[in-house]
This record gives sequence, structure tokens and C-alpha cells, in this order.
Amino acid sequence: VEPNATIREIRLMFHKLYPRWYPARQSIKLDPKGKSLRDEEILQHLPVGTTATLYFKDLGPQIGWTTVFLIEYTGPLFIYFLFYFRMPFVYGLDERFTSSPHPVVNLACICHSFHYIKRLIETVFVHRFSHGTMPLRNIVKNCLYYWGFAAWLAYYINHPLYTPPSYGKKQINFAVIMFLLCEAGNFSIHVALSDLRRNGSKIRKIPYPTKNPFTWLFFFVSCPNYTYEVGTWISFTIMTQCVPVGLFTLLCFIQMTIWAKDKHCTYLREFKDYPSLRMSIIPFLL
Amino acid sequence: MAASGSGGSRADNGYGSQQPRRRRGPGALGTAYLVIYNVVMTAGWLVIAVGLVRAYLAKGSYHSLYYSIEKPLKFFQTGALLEEYLLIAKYLPGIVPSSVVLTAFQVMSRVFLTWAVTHSVKEVQTEDSVLLFVVAWTITEIIRYSFYTFSLLNHLPYLIKWARYTLFIVLYPMGVSGELLTIYAALPFVRQSGLYSISLPNKYNFSFDYYTFLILVMISYIPIFPQLYFHMLHQRRKVLSHTEEHKKSE
Repeated sequence: VEPNATIREIRLMFHKLYPRWYPARQSIKLDPKGKSLRDEEILQHLPVGTTATLYFKDLGPQIGWTTVFLIEYTGPLFIYFLFYFRMPFVYGLDERFTSSPHPVVNLACICHSFHYIKRLIETVFVHRFSHGTMPLRNIVKNCLYYWGFAAWLAYYINHPLYTPPSYGKKQINFAVIMFLLCEAGNFSIHVALSDLRRNGSKIRKIPYPTKNPFTWLFFFVSCPNYTYEVGTWISFTIMTQCVPVGLFTLLCFIQMTIWAKDKHCTYLREFKDYPSLRMSIIPFLL
Repeated sequence: MAASGSGGSRADNGYGSQQPRRRRGPGALGTAYLVIYNVVMTAGWLVIAVGLVRAYLAKGSYHSLYYSIEKPLKFFQTGALLEEYLLIAKYLPGIVPSSVVLTAFQVMSRVFLTWAVTHSVKEVQTEDSVLLFVVAWTITEIIRYSFYTFSLLNHLPYLIKWARYTLFIVLYPMGVSGELLTIYAALPFVRQSGLYSISLPNKYNFSFDYYTFLILVMISYIPIFPQLYFHMLHQRRKVLSHTEEHKKSE
């Protein structure tokens, strides 16, 4: 192997020797307990002598992030429709293909579908992933979670015995406006983040507020995309006044707070001049 | 309490998992608290055991023994929740994450049986199955807490260690059978009274059927119980054979 070989080249060579282990599946380290080496690293810049010992670990079958997201998000989209259109096996034969007398149910379907279609579009056109793949078994877990919850909340919203929100039109209108604002915010942040990596570079950079008012949340939090996402689901809960939606929102909030704190810590570690006003997900609080 | 009972049996820190050797013990004061806690819990379960025996001798039959130990049972079993919380919050040192999950399951199922089934469905309190799991739990807990106590004091009699890692072979299935039979006995009463259940339509668009939930809980025993059982068997092989080697080398 040449001294100026990159880890990527080493991975390709390894793959030729062992066809079973394609590059994405290889974890190459200098130390069995250490971190995996990145593709861009060059052999001679690593702390090795004249001969280097590299440790290989099989990460298991991998699947691309884009593929994962596409599967994860298409599921809820169509599952919701099964309940919205009241397929016979859902609410019984008597209620099959009927529709709800409440306008909010139609609105909820539009919002829910809009949310997942937006996510699908972002996955294809906007997101730039730093890691190409994730382990295959994660997809089963993730899909169970997304699809399961989508089914559970769709069941109640589209149920023949659904009760519309207590404060009627006022509550629904407020929720719709909040929903739209949060979706716009979330989209703006995703675009801003993807612009940081415009030329395909994988270097991490500090995101800053731009001319778009929605990105001004960057003054206060490291991960405003998660903030907006939680906001979207809160608005959906208000719109439908449905406990399962509320529970889903709570779980989303917990999961995203964990991710946000992680990201926030990584930023703080990597950048000495990181803005000190910023919290991870809720301004001034969390 | 499952702390890194320093020295003693290295392969076993109370939950029988690998103990990272670089981790120090809880310190003198911490150890003292833990010893007191474990002694109290051992005593508590002994009280329950004695209560059972006395009630049996007094009444001559083993029905309705639940009532004689109802309060201490609730108190000490629920106390295990605190123990679990401390483990999870890592206020207790030297615990490996995987065992926390397993013990969490166990504690949750026990507390669930105590409160959500036996306490809530009064009609099952005279069932024999209740006695079955109470006896199983009592014996298990007495051995477990005295095991922790002795481990912390670095004077673990082989008998206690052996008992802890052997008696479960009978006690575990016994307890599980008692639990399952009790839940099964509770089903018709739950159905009838609509206990803990809420149905549509309602303002919050939510429904919950406790009857179905109980059935799902029973089904969940099928994947979970064998895992716990084989984990303990595995631990048994590891711990008891490790001690043999120790003995041989001495």
C-alpha cells in the first residue's frame, strides 16, 4: 500500500480481497477500541510507523440513509390513507369508505400528508448526509416506530367516533397557522444546513442565521430544525386534540432533545468560538 | 444492593455481570449505606416469610394468606423501584447497562403484579396463584439481599452464592407461573368491571382496553422470560465455575 493512500482506497482494496465486505461495511481503526477512521484520512498523516497495523470490524449489512428515509417516510403517508379512506378491515364493514362529517379530519389528513411529502422531497433534494449508511437492522426498528405510530394516531383521528377539538374553529385555525409556520421554519433550516455543504464537502461548519427570518432561531439554538419539528407536532396535537398524537409528540421531543444535545456538545467541542447564547433545542432552557 | 462489592468475587458484582476493574468501590460511607439498605430489605422479606408461616399455622389452610402480608409485600416490593431508579441514574456504581435493562423488566413486572393486578382486582386475592408467586419472590429476595449484604462486607458464604445461582432454577418458573395464573384469573373481572379502561367517544380521542393490555402482557412473557432464565443459567455457569478455579488455586 502506498504511504499516501487514503483510507477510502484501502477500503476498496480490502473489498477486492473480501468481496463480502463492501467499503461501507468496513470499520477501520488504528486501535481496536478506538474510533473508526474517515475515508479522507491519508495513511502517512496518521500516527503510524513504517508499518501500520489496522484493525477491521464488520459493521454488518448497511443501508443508505436516503433509502432508509424514503422507506420510513413513505410508510406513514400511505398508512394514514388506509385509515382516512376507512378501508373495510379498519373500522368494520359498516363504516367502509365512509367519510367524516368533521372538516378538521380532512385538514388533519392534508397536514399529515404534507408533512411526510415535504420530508420525502427534502430527503431527495435537500439533505446532505455525513455518513453514507446505517446498519440494516436499524431500519426495522425505525420503521416499526414511524409506521406503528402513524397507524395508531390515524386510527383515532379518522375514527367514526372522533370528537373534534373543544374550542372549535379558533383552536383549529391557530393550530394550522402554527403548523405552517413550523413547517416553513423547518424547511428553511434544512436548506440553510445543506448550503453549508454546498460543494459536497464533509467538513462541519457552524450554521449562522441568514436573511430568512426563520433562520434567526439560530441565534438561540443549535438545532432549530428540531425545535420547529416539535412545534409542528405540537400544532398537530392541538389541531386534532388527540392523546396518541400528544404521546407521539412527547416521544419525538425526547428523541430530538437527545439528538440536539449531542449535536450541541459536538459543536462546542469542535469550535472554540461557538456562540455562547445558544442552547441545544429550546431557547434559554434546554 | 448491587454495588461493586470490592474484592470478594470479581466475576460477580451482585448482578453477575462483568465488572470494569478500574472502577473503584463506593467508599466507606457509601458502602455503609448500602449495607444498611440490604440488611433492611433482607429483614423486610424475612418478615413477610415469617408472616406467611405464622398465618398458615394459625389458619391451618393456605387460602387468604395474602391478607396477612399484604402491607409489607407492597412496601418492600415497591422499595425495589427505588433501587432500580438508583441503578438507572447511576447513583450506584459498577453496574453494566445490559443488566439494568433485565432487572428493570423484572422490577416492573413485579410492581405491576403487586399493584395493577393483585391490589386492583380484589377478587384474585384469594387465589392460590398469588401465594405461588409471593412465596417464590420471598425466598428469592431474601437470598438476593443477603447475598448483596455479604458481598459488600466481603464475607460471602459459598452457600448463599450457591443458593442465589441455583434456587432460581425452580423459583423463577414458580414465580412466573404464579404471576401468569393470577393475571389469567383477573381477566374476567377486568372485563366485567371495565377496570382502567376508557372507550370512545371522548374529548381526548383516546381508548384503552385493560383486558387486551393484560393479554398482551401475558404474551410478552413468552419472549422475555426465556431470555432472563438463560441469562441466569449463563451467569450460574460463569460464577460457580469461577469459584471452583479460585478454590483450586488456593
